[in-house]
Amino acid sequence: MNKEMLDLCNWIMDETLKNGASDCKVSLNKRRIVEINYRKQKPESIKEATTRSLSLDVYLDGKFAVQSTPDLRKTSLETFIKKACENAKYIEADPYRTLPGKDLIKGKQDIDLELYDNRVKDFAPDLKHKMVQEIEEACINKGGDKVISVEAGAEFSEDENLEVASNGLVNSTQKTSVWIGASMAAQDEGDRRPNGYHWAGARYLNDLPKTSDVGIKAAERTLELLGGKKMPTEKLPVIIENRVANRLLNGFIAGMNGGNIQQQRSFLADKKGEVVASPKLSLIDDPFVKKGFGSRLVDGDGLPARKRIMLDQGKVEEFFIDWYYSRKMECQPTTGGASNLILKPGEKSLEDLMKDTGRGILVTGFIGGNSNSTTGDFSIGIIGHLFENGVPVQAIAEMNIADNHLEFWKKLADVGNDPWKYSSWNIPSLLFDDIVVAGV
Amino acid sequence: MKKIDRRSFLRTTSAAGGMVLVSPYLDGAWFVQSNKGSTGYFESEFGISMEMCRKLLETALMRGGDFADLYFEHTLNNWLMLEDGKVNQSYGIVKLGVGIRTVKGDQIGYGYTEDLSDEAMLSAAKTASSLVTETQTTVASAFTKLSAKNYYPLQNLNEVPLTDKLPLVQTINTKCFEKSGYIKNVRAGFHDSMKRIMVVTSDGLIAEDIIPRNYLYASVVAEKDGKNEQSGWNLGGRHDFSYYSTDVAENISDEVVKRAVKQFDAIQPPAGEMPVVLGPGVTGILLHEAIGHGMEADFNRKNISTYSTMIGKKVAEPFVTIVDDGTIDQQLGSINFDDEGSQSQRTVLVENGVMTSYLHDKISAKYYGVKPTGNGRRESYEHQPVPRMRNTYMMSGDESPEDVIKKAKNGIYIEDVSNGQVKIGEGDFAFYVSQGRMIEDGKLTAPIKDVNIMGNGPKMLANITAVANDLKIHEGGAGSCGKAGQSVPVSFGLPTCLVKSLTVGGTKQMGGVS
Repeated sequence: MNKEMLDLCNWIMDETLKNGASDCKVSLNKRRIVEINYRKQKPESIKEATTRSLSLDVYLDGKFAVQSTPDLRKTSLETFIKKACENAKYIEADPYRTLPGKDLIKGKQDIDLELYDNRVKDFAPDLKHKMVQEIEEACINKGGDKVISVEAGAEFSEDENLEVASNGLVNSTQKTSVWIGASMAAQDEGDRRPNGYHWAGARYLNDLPKTSDVGIKAAERTLELLGGKKMPTEKLPVIIENRVANRLLNGFIAGMNGGNIQQQRSFLADKKGEVVASPKLSLIDDPFVKKGFGSRLVDGDGLPARKRIMLDQGKVEEFFIDWYYSRKMECQPTTGGASNLILKPGEKSLEDLMKDTGRGILVTGFIGGNSNSTTGDFSIGIIGHLFENGVPVQAIAEMNIADNHLEFWKKLADVGNDPWKYSSWNIPSLLFDDIVVAGV
Repeated sequence: MKKIDRRSFLRTTSAAGGMVLVSPYLDGAWFVQSNKGSTGYFESEFGISMEMCRKLLETALMRGGDFADLYFEHTLNNWLMLEDGKVNQSYGIVKLGVGIRTVKGDQIGYGYTEDLSDEAMLSAAKTASSLVTETQTTVASAFTKLSAKNYYPLQNLNEVPLTDKLPLVQTINTKCFEKSGYIKNVRAGFHDSMKRIMVVTSDGLIAEDIIPRNYLYASVVAEKDGKNEQSGWNLGGRHDFSYYSTDVAENISDEVVKRAVKQFDAIQPPAGEMPVVLGPGVTGILLHEAIGHGMEADFNRKNISTYSTMIGKKVAEPFVTIVDDGTIDQQLGSINFDDEGSQSQRTVLVENGVMTSYLHDKISAKYYGVKPTGNGRRESYEHQPVPRMRNTYMMSGDESPEDVIKKAKNGIYIEDVSNGQVKIGEGDFAFYVSQGRMIEDGKLTAPIKDVNIMGNGPKMLANITAVANDLKIHEGGAGSCGKAGQSVPVSFGLPTCLVKSLTVGGTKQMGGVS
């Protein structure tokens, strides 16, 4: 733990309490980022910065105010703290707004989540450039004469966070992440210039895929979009590719959010313990995945993280309920939001799912759309392919799927064995039966 | 960086309340300090002298480059939020920092820092300079202050006391419940921000501005026969606080309640291609997606926009004229000058059906040999500017709205939309309809909701077959546009107009098969 950061947080906490707060929480973040982007075999942009941010939650007998600032000069902070406390006084008191008690924040696991790679900090600039150059070159080569433009890039970040609260919470984390990828525009018929991309990321440099593979994949995914057109409206099986499945699942998860439930804006509010989806749908929130993008030892309220089964074979087991809404709803808190959300994988590869389905739509991207958390209705544009005999035969564009989450997830017929690893939501490819795909 | 392939547009009307997570309200002391007019602020408050600016620019250009610029920002953001009848949350964010950019052709070196010490700023300038390896470029011998018209003058730069804001939010809550017995939950809030910026360029320009942004919003849930429906609405822009009268609270509560209750009778329209009439106002999001993004010049100089070869060509009927305008008083997308120091303007994108101009920043303007159009915008000092829209709208036509609806015969009529997205290269776009009606035999009938509309930008433009005389520019304050990981406030507008065919993404197939 960084002693300088800890001393500053403790000083801010003491000053806040001296200014009349009954409780407070201080969060301090320091971040270092480097971004490199290439186009036309030369750097298009290079960006580098070290940033910091301080957030102060003030509790004053049920009154609540949050202020944040990047200005960490002591003289500025004195004014900042004083005003934060004064401002809280004007807010209406809310008896549910408290910090969790000392007993509730005990029990943090003592494990190394392996979120920080020392190599990232010292990774030489010329090696960073080399990575991006390799990605760009591979993408250009694979794209061949269809290439209009290729942009390749890498982003390196180091984060150091410290949270200190008057209920005894002290939590520090250090994380690194590296993202690499490329996007390509290809010449299609007429004025169409399909744009495809591929990105991969990891907490550790060594866990990144081969740079040339990333570039090749970006080109392949772009070339697959060539000839995209609208098909007639039809009801047929639909496979949602692993990398984009979280977009649809997100609308479902919104119904499991404690705030939405308490505020009567959830289509799942009265469904705890009920089966709302196919037995193929099981969701686990696992904060302890080594090197995971969502891994953590404590949650946003400072409560010790726990692995939880949220949905078991289609049955709702838990909601995402934070400390505040648990008090309002007079129930036990779980956690305010997902850490690493794992959809239990199935047995088949994406290729086998397509082969066994025969004819259907493979969705590889979404466009626009929205989901109504109160009713569960959603409608979203899709990009992808019509496949026949398990093989893509036609790229599709300007098409749409719509349904209600309470009906849609019951149509989940099978789950792939390919959870997407470049996200905190590890979702495999998903096969749905009988979906109306709107087009011509 | 992971989002570079798509440009998503998010409009956060009522949902904004739920989506805004962090931020405190104004720090009074800073705000009193800031009441010193629009020039010299960064020098008086943070000791940023012109000598230091010169030194930073010289450092940014020490290895060469076409030009360099500095972007200082100090922003105070405040949110006040009501839930379950109480104004029980206050959030605020202070942003303070400088972004330093070195440009060589279309290459950019960029460093930024939140530490305004000489050492930290010089380090950021060195980062910016690292892109090029030539000989030193000189900085202009003198700096001149930009004189620009003010499209959002403020009567009072002092902090608005919380005690003045709080009753506004409480009023909305009371009014929503009074207006309908179906209302069972209200969330409401007020957001205001004051952004102070100073742009200093190596060719000798200083531009300083105070940019307000504010809105009042409500989001309600109504219940009838065990069924819940939700709706939201906001009003705002770049106003003085005096704009927020009880009439504004009345209008918002009226609108939001009416919209929620109407949803009980809403049906899903059939899926497939059909005529679509866009009602006036917020539906202008269609232009934003279908043409606006594709006209941003960075996409065109890279030849990746579907509009890359269309300047000077006929793209729509002669009665279609589309503009992007940063000069409308108090509108959310208005700017006195852009974030590179270029004057704001009204830029005509399509004039009488012919495509006329892209939206330029300095880099693209140089590439095309034209003057910048004042569209070089950025979210904050953390980002380099790129071409962005301001207020994008279509000019009125000659027909009455009723005649335009009649022309559609059978299709759907769109009243409110909640977000949209476009794929630049293909021109394919989508936007989400939260409120609308069926059109049957030329008349508006059953309400519809929660349906996505798909189309292709160039095809849609060519398919606009009627434009009414009722242009309305959306007066919301919560709209923001996302591109390249940056969000900037924008607005949009439209007269009632007919698109002869778009894809409606319902759940029912034509012919009644579900």
